[in-house]
Amino acid sequence: MLIAKKKALSTLSLLLLPFTLLLAQQDTDFMRSMGKMYVVVAVILAIFIGIIIYLIRLDRKLTKLEDQIKNHE
Amino acid sequence: MKNYWWKFLGVLLLIYTFVFGLLTPLKTGITAASPYSLQAGQTQVVTVQGYNSFFTKEKEKLRAWLKTGSEFALAASQIEAVDDRTVKLTFHVPAHLPTDSKVKDFTLLIDSPADGASILPGGLSIKQDSVNEAAGKALWTASPISQLHEKEAITFPFRNILGETIRNTYYHVPMWMAMFIILIGAVVFSIKYLINPDADYDRKAMALTNVGLLLGILGLITGAIWAKNTWGKYWSWDVKQNMTAIALLIYSAYFVLRASFEDPEKKARISAVFNIFAFASIVPLIYIIPKLTDSLHPGAGGNIAFGSQDLDNTMRMIFYPAIIGWALLGLWIGEVILRTARIRERILDA
Amino acid sequence: MNLFSQILYLLHKEITLEWRQRYAISGILLYVLSTVFIVYISFQNIGPQVWNVLFWIIMLFASVNAVMKSFVQESGYRQLYYFQLLHPIAIILSKMIYNALLLLVLGVLTFTSLAFIAGNPVQHAAEFALVLFLGSTGFSITFTFVSAIAAKADNSSTLMAVLSFPVVIPVLLLLVNLSAHSIGLLGGTEMGDKIMLLAAVDMILVALGLVLFPFLWRD
Repeated sequence: MLIAKKKALSTLSLLLLPFTLLLAQQDTDFMRSMGKMYVVVAVILAIFIGIIIYLIRLDRKLTKLEDQIKNHE
Repeated sequence: MKNYWWKFLGVLLLIYTFVFGLLTPLKTGITAASPYSLQAGQTQVVTVQGYNSFFTKEKEKLRAWLKTGSEFALAASQIEAVDDRTVKLTFHVPAHLPTDSKVKDFTLLIDSPADGASILPGGLSIKQDSVNEAAGKALWTASPISQLHEKEAITFPFRNILGETIRNTYYHVPMWMAMFIILIGAVVFSIKYLINPDADYDRKAMALTNVGLLLGILGLITGAIWAKNTWGKYWSWDVKQNMTAIALLIYSAYFVLRASFEDPEKKARISAVFNIFAFASIVPLIYIIPKLTDSLHPGAGGNIAFGSQDLDNTMRMIFYPAIIGWALLGLWIGEVILRTARIRERILDA
Repeated sequence: MNLFSQILYLLHKEITLEWRQRYAISGILLYVLSTVFIVYISFQNIGPQVWNVLFWIIMLFASVNAVMKSFVQESGYRQLYYFQLLHPIAIILSKMIYNALLLLVLGVLTFTSLAFIAGNPVQHAAEFALVLFLGSTGFSITFTFVSAIAAKADNSSTLMAVLSFPVVIPVLLLLVNLSAHSIGLLGGTEMGDKIMLLAAVDMILVALGLVLFPFLWRD
């Protein structure tokens, strides 16, 4: 299970790599193009990622509780 | 169904916020004018870049002025719409300006029936060689501004530094307000616990504080992204940012405090006391920080505040539902945390 | 005994105790002196702006250290003894008053040593004195209450800093601003307004402390 998680993480970072490179290349001009619309996109993305991370933490908490219930029975 | 209605309401409000907050176009604006500097007494052509503009539509009815104050204006003698985003304005700048200094900034104003009136505040500066204020005043009142058009469609205001990021008003600012609403909820449950020591009140206060922390962190991150790309700094001396940071410190301390007790009754009681005391101590900051800002940074402006000049009625129609929507979403997350905490308690008791 | 005489009695006791074990208070005084000296060595040239900030930072840390022991130090038996005899409001109020006096002394000492070493930039002495008074009261109220909370936990000295620093920020902001005015860094005229605000914050914190302390004291 741990290995699967690690695999998933590394795949994710590989998928994100081109995107981050793109962002780094274009520097601040990219964020400022189209009337700075990408700033709005970045803000919404940040909120989304934040809520997802929170959800993952909650998910793990619940998994632990489920395990405890299982051990109890 | 009865117990779920508020979750539906929250989601509906957020969908409404996302759809209309992102789809509504901005009002026509002017992003740039070149050359930036003109010379008095000459005839010059200024190329102007518009944003969301339709200059070629009804181009014979386009009008443009350079203005300063409310009474002095100079109309463009010739207007040529190159395309929808570009227009060339010809100005016969008189020999004297209505001022007693050599250089003066003027606001550019373009009016069209299709786009309504749009301005570039302080967008052009004019130099003059000889100062003659009286003659300038006479020359600059010859072509007054008249009968400006209003854009018919529903739009958000255009502001030069902000551009499209004015939409962040619905995604960043409500984080702070929802955090505050939820933290008030936590304080209410802490008070209830002290009056009637029921463990469930303590769990509710804990769950709400947890969500408040989440919203606070999101508010700080989004605020930093926004500030960096509009004002150039991740952190600007801003009431909301500072209060959020302090609230984050305090409520992280709340969880540290909780972690240092074994006895659940003692933990609940003492953390409730701290929650109330800490909340009461940060509330005065709402009054304090703006007062300090005035004295520390004289004339500093450009912040999005809740003042009437910054939020127009169209934005209010999305901003207020956005606050309620985010607060309800936070409440929902808090409810899930609460139920998790209840189950854990059950398991520990069994 | 009524509330007032209880407070007087407790104040008397605090001062006698402090006097009997002088090493505690001399420790704090030495702490202030050495901090001021370290600050001087590292900065050397201290302008009015830095002076102002440094003064309050030194005050902040010295105050935390001075107040921390007020509840942490007392043994369980003594607390039980008080609990049976005295009203909780008398206990917290006497501690707050005592600490306010202690911090006022600390403030005067910090000011003297800093002025001796780095010069005295204060222009409106009366205003500075008022700010110092309100500041030590505000610090004393906040830190006394937080130390009462921290004393209930096991790892109280770390907790004390973690809990009290964010809570004291509003007071600190106002203090730095007000004393900047008395030093002549700020021109503003609405200082009376801010002093009222600071006094109001102090009042709110005292009132809350009095209301909430009985809940802390219960066991």
